[in-house]
Amino acid sequence: MPPAIETVDLVKEYGDLRALQELSLTVEKGEFFGLLGPNGAGKTTFINTLVGLVRKSGGEARVFGHDVEDDYQQARDAIGLAPQEFNVDRFFPIKEVLTHKAGYHGIPASEAAERADDVLKRVGIYDKRDERFDWLSGGMKRRLLLARALVTEPDLLILDEPTAGVDVQLRHDLWELVTELNEEGTTILLTTHYIEEAERLCDRVAIMNEGRKVTVATPAELKQRGTDTIAVRLASAPAATPDLGSYAHETTVSGDRLEVRVDDGGSTAPRLLNDLEAMGHEIADLEITRTSLEEIFVDLTRSEDRTVTRSSAESAGDDDPPANDNREGEREQEGVA
Amino acid sequence: MLSVGFRALFRREILRFVRRPKNTFMPPAITNVLYFAVFGVILGGRIDEIAGYPYILFIVPGLVVLGAISNAFENASFSIFHGRWNEYIHETLTSPLSYVEMVVAYVGASAVRGLVVGVIIAAVGRAFVPIGIEHGLFLVATMIVITALFAGLGIIGGLVARDFDDLTVMNQFILRPLVFFGAVFYSLETFEQAWQINLSLLNPMVYMVDSVRFGLLGHSDLIGVGILPGPYADFAPLVSLGVLTTGTLLVMAIDVYLFKIGYGLTD
Repeated sequence: MPPAIETVDLVKEYGDLRALQELSLTVEKGEFFGLLGPNGAGKTTFINTLVGLVRKSGGEARVFGHDVEDDYQQARDAIGLAPQEFNVDRFFPIKEVLTHKAGYHGIPASEAAERADDVLKRVGIYDKRDERFDWLSGGMKRRLLLARALVTEPDLLILDEPTAGVDVQLRHDLWELVTELNEEGTTILLTTHYIEEAERLCDRVAIMNEGRKVTVATPAELKQRGTDTIAVRLASAPAATPDLGSYAHETTVSGDRLEVRVDDGGSTAPRLLNDLEAMGHEIADLEITRTSLEEIFVDLTRSEDRTVTRSSAESAGDDDPPANDNREGEREQEGVA
Repeated sequence: MLSVGFRALFRREILRFVRRPKNTFMPPAITNVLYFAVFGVILGGRIDEIAGYPYILFIVPGLVVLGAISNAFENASFSIFHGRWNEYIHETLTSPLSYVEMVVAYVGASAVRGLVVGVIIAAVGRAFVPIGIEHGLFLVATMIVITALFAGLGIIGGLVARDFDDLTVMNQFILRPLVFFGAVFYSLETFEQAWQINLSLLNPMVYMVDSVRFGLLGHSDLIGVGILPGPYADFAPLVSLGVLTTGTLLVMAIDVYLFKIGYGLTD
């Protein structure tokens, strides 16, 4: 079974600007995959390359094994796209917009009408079915984009920042719906700025920056790459900063409060407490603060650490976070970028 | 070709203009009532017969062509450009329709609008003067070919345009002058200088108007001025139709190519 998405050294150039730089990425069938990155990272360009709205400058891109240019009909038939922008037909009531879209995908008129009703109910705007797009509220417009993507019952659902600017209720509704779809077997590619969204929904995430893939990992793996902080309140202020082992990357003292930065707070805390007690300190309180995914994300996409050239990208890899099981493969992929 | 997807897009394109008769069918109807009233009745009464036909009858084919091709062009160019402008053409582009299906659906629907407008104008003309049809099959073939040709050109216009003003420029400043100098309101046989005829023959509209006039009235200026050598002179309308058909297929091939490379459609 071919992957849902497979790109190899995908390149998109706009004159001197390289929007995608030798991007190699694989999304397995049935996966809930997140694309994270700051504005201009190339997320939407990547998506639009898959659906035919952007023509690649180089490399390969396949959807369920179908080349997006040579087998464009099969590739596009498999995809439902809810884009960032409101690109909806203004001439027709929204139910007709959906039946037209279903029709373009070869679904006969009577079945298309049924599906349109179903998806409008599913996203909660069935009572607006005879309205035109321009008369909908912002949240309803966002729901319609999702309905339009679903009406063709795609094997691959692509959501380009679906919750940007929507209220909390709608965001949770969308999360619930896409989770259901994924459980039903739909592969989902989600781009988002919201780290919480990726952490909550995605099996794996790719972090992109300036057209390159910075890393691919599960949210949990990513969080492991950061350092944790163990804050210990001592019964009395120490006279000097305790000399701990190499596990302590940084130790600071402020009055009776001691802060130690370590790789894994949970597993290191007992050792730290033993060491401190062995030095004669009495422990009054302890708190472990884990690195947030957001901090990891900011660290990985910090632009001053990265440039757009191939040579500097390779050297930038030397400054990346400490190695884990996935680092070797990723470093190799970055070398290609 | 007649896949479900093709029919869905064709139907969408037809519905877009059918549901807006005030924008699509009423303007040419009203405009042509004015043309027939002013040029046909008021001025035409003071003009001698042209090529043996009352002036009002002579101008009917030209006005049919003017309305039909203008509307075919306008429909295709607007539909494509408006879809680009508001980006909802993405609904089509991201679908599994082939590029040929997309182009034929857009061209076909726009040609239908041109044909309907042509019939409306002929009906308006019929209210002013009795009109017969001399070569029905030839007329239908010609009308289909020329509306498809201008629908195909409209697609190119819609892809090339950068704003709505560009569409107006194409229709008002290029299309209409060519039609007006395309022997709509006069016969080539009225020219006394050879260069006047030769210059007119460079205008493709001359062949379209002449073909429709041949279909409706049975008269062809091209036969009259002897565009083909002696024994072949009477084949001039057929040759015209053949050339126009070739041109239409060529333009549609260009449309398909532009869709394939994403000209004006993709980044």
